[in-house]
Amino acid sequence: MRRFLPLALLAASPMLAGGLLPEDLLKAPTTTWPTYSGDYSGRRFSSLNQINSSNVGSLALAWVFRAGSVPIKSTPLLAGGILYVTVPDNVWAVDARTGRRVWHYSYLSDGGDHIGNRGVGMYGDWLYFETPDAHLVCLNARDGTERWKVQLADVKLGYFATMAPLIVGNHVIVGVSGDVTDVPGFLDSRDPETGKLQWRWYTEPKPGEPGSETWPAHSDAITHGGGMTWMTGTYDPELKLLFWGIGNPNPVLAGAGRPGDNLYTCSIVALNPDTGKLVWHFQPSPHDVHDWDAVQTPIVFDADFKGAPRKLIAQASRNGFFFLLDRATGKNLVTAPFIETNWSTGIDSTGRPIRNPAKDATPDGALVSPGSDGATNWLSPSFNPQTGLFYVSARRLWSIFYLTADGKAEGWGGRDHNLWAESDVRAIDYQTGGIRWTHPIGRGQGTTGILTTAGGVLFTGDTSNHLLALDAATGTTLWHTNVGSGSESSPMTYQLDGRQYVLYGVHDMMFAFALPAAP
Amino acid sequence: MPNCKPAPFLFAVSLCFSLAAAPPSKPDPAAVARGRKQFVSSCGFCHGNDATGNRAPDLVRSPLVNRDRGGDLLGPVIRAGRPDKGMPGFPFTDAQVADVAAFLHARVIEGLSSSNVPQDYPLARLLTGSAPAGKAYFEGAGGCSGCHSATGDLAGIASRFQPLALQNRMLAPHGPPPKATVTLPSGETVSGSLVHVDEFEVALRDASGWYRSWNRSAVRVEVHDPLQAHRDLMTRYTDADLHNVFAYLETLK
Repeated sequence: MRRFLPLALLAASPMLAGGLLPEDLLKAPTTTWPTYSGDYSGRRFSSLNQINSSNVGSLALAWVFRAGSVPIKSTPLLAGGILYVTVPDNVWAVDARTGRRVWHYSYLSDGGDHIGNRGVGMYGDWLYFETPDAHLVCLNARDGTERWKVQLADVKLGYFATMAPLIVGNHVIVGVSGDVTDVPGFLDSRDPETGKLQWRWYTEPKPGEPGSETWPAHSDAITHGGGMTWMTGTYDPELKLLFWGIGNPNPVLAGAGRPGDNLYTCSIVALNPDTGKLVWHFQPSPHDVHDWDAVQTPIVFDADFKGAPRKLIAQASRNGFFFLLDRATGKNLVTAPFIETNWSTGIDSTGRPIRNPAKDATPDGALVSPGSDGATNWLSPSFNPQTGLFYVSARRLWSIFYLTADGKAEGWGGRDHNLWAESDVRAIDYQTGGIRWTHPIGRGQGTTGILTTAGGVLFTGDTSNHLLALDAATGTTLWHTNVGSGSESSPMTYQLDGRQYVLYGVHDMMFAFALPAAP
Repeated sequence: MPNCKPAPFLFAVSLCFSLAAAPPSKPDPAAVARGRKQFVSSCGFCHGNDATGNRAPDLVRSPLVNRDRGGDLLGPVIRAGRPDKGMPGFPFTDAQVADVAAFLHARVIEGLSSSNVPQDYPLARLLTGSAPAGKAYFEGAGGCSGCHSATGDLAGIASRFQPLALQNRMLAPHGPPPKATVTLPSGETVSGSLVHVDEFEVALRDASGWYRSWNRSAVRVEVHDPLQAHRDLMTRYTDADLHNVFAYLETLK
């Protein structure tokens, strides 16, 4: 692939045959997939249309890559014909045309939660990978050798790290995970060459700063308030705003010690990527006590709203509500439930659902929809500019929430037990929040994200081990195949040598599907 | 936050995976008891008897406590105090330091494990409803007596399950698979226990015990799921209803 490199960069670094320049992240993903969601918008939409609604029925297996590992929860990053696939402590470089392993890197964590890893970020020839013991590792993409590693947070305090770093200019944006202990969340910008901290934004304000009034005074609650940053955010290069979904407050289910809205937990925030300064915020779940973090990919798109073009951002949030905001200001435009919930008594004047305290966790159990696993979760949503629909893998999930804490709560202070769940793909009209169509995907919790393409196809999985291709306009099934296990990641696509591939993670394998090739 | 379910299984091949972090080892209960006593008498006035803070900081959340191993970091602070913050030193022996450290680590573990409701969760916390109101709901609005009987299948139910398990089972019971009838294009019908049904396929075990499956587009499927009534109750139950019914079931010893 031929590239035209800026002279300054050419002088500073070797030729980037397989590498990725920051400006490559501004292009539509076709021969690359340069970020977790494919591009900065987070819409997980591809302009490719070789595979389309008229021929998807003949989709066939192109290759399988087997990691021999725990389940893959990452989206592969693609550059220079090489895919980078991760699970906790492990990165594989895989030939995107054949599925053959190029190299494997393994890291030995000093403890930490190994719940999942979402993928790598790439800057030039370098990959950025988070570890269960809350380090950021920089690898040489040519051979997987380690360049440096830096600690993001202390694993002994309960932090770990899972998200796919996001590269914005010369910033490596990284977040952290961990809510079994009451530690503060933050988002870091790191130097791509050294890992040195450029800025850190804590998800709770310092006492006395704006937002601190949403925490109790004369208490340690604000400095132990949680708010993790465990999913990759999105970016608007024109407004130069970074958008990030913030995790739940701590203690998780016990809110008595933290009266107030608890900013900026369970919020969507807009930050200046060069300084880490907060520009605006919107809080989907004020004073959350159900683990409904607001980390679900906030999708950036430009479209008409009430007849006028507008810069928008939308999230289908874990609490069961869809939110549409003006992304320049954070002003709420639409709030509407995308599943039937029972925890809110209405919508306030700023577009936030009003929590019904009767549905907080109780010692004897409160029946709540959705449960803490959420009306949706890490599974990627998609926005398709052709249909104007926002797609989410949605769960109708009933759960009973117990408050176990006596006295001052530490950690979770309770837990919910899942009772019943049924899942659907739902297509949301962003202008109203209305559900355009619903496609049931079965009993239990859907765990697969959504990809849509210019071929009019929506790819996702059901709860019966099927990979599904649906008509993005109507939700009608176009094709399906049983892949033998569920998927806990989100599909992606690319085209190389004139052939379009759709990648789907199944347990520890990546399945690549394409239209049949000559033998 | 738990962003996903724990990995249900692991394919161990040639790779070395350290799974979840090894939790701090559980301190010796006798040391914890001694440490608690020591802590309450020497430290509780300022740090709170449960170590969650009072005039002085919450030690369950303390980075120092979380990084401490067996008193290696706590000992020097206990003995020297923090004069700048008004904390005097305490001339603890090594054994006393180790006991207080054991108590504080036990408190940390309680916090870490607070996301699990223990199986022996006390009945007193769950029993807030009215048994007579629960009986009325059971026999009336809930429709429970359509399938269940206090003297039949539910006789002695409260003696068979711990309270938390009983409440969860009452809301989301496990039961035999639903019954299904499949009508083939020929008009022939096959009935049996449902094995699987989704958008594309249906499978059942027929009366002779054989597994059979069909493409759904070729057959008509009727499923009778007796547990559907429990699912339907999710949107009808008030919290008071469910606590009343639970209180009633708890009388069925």
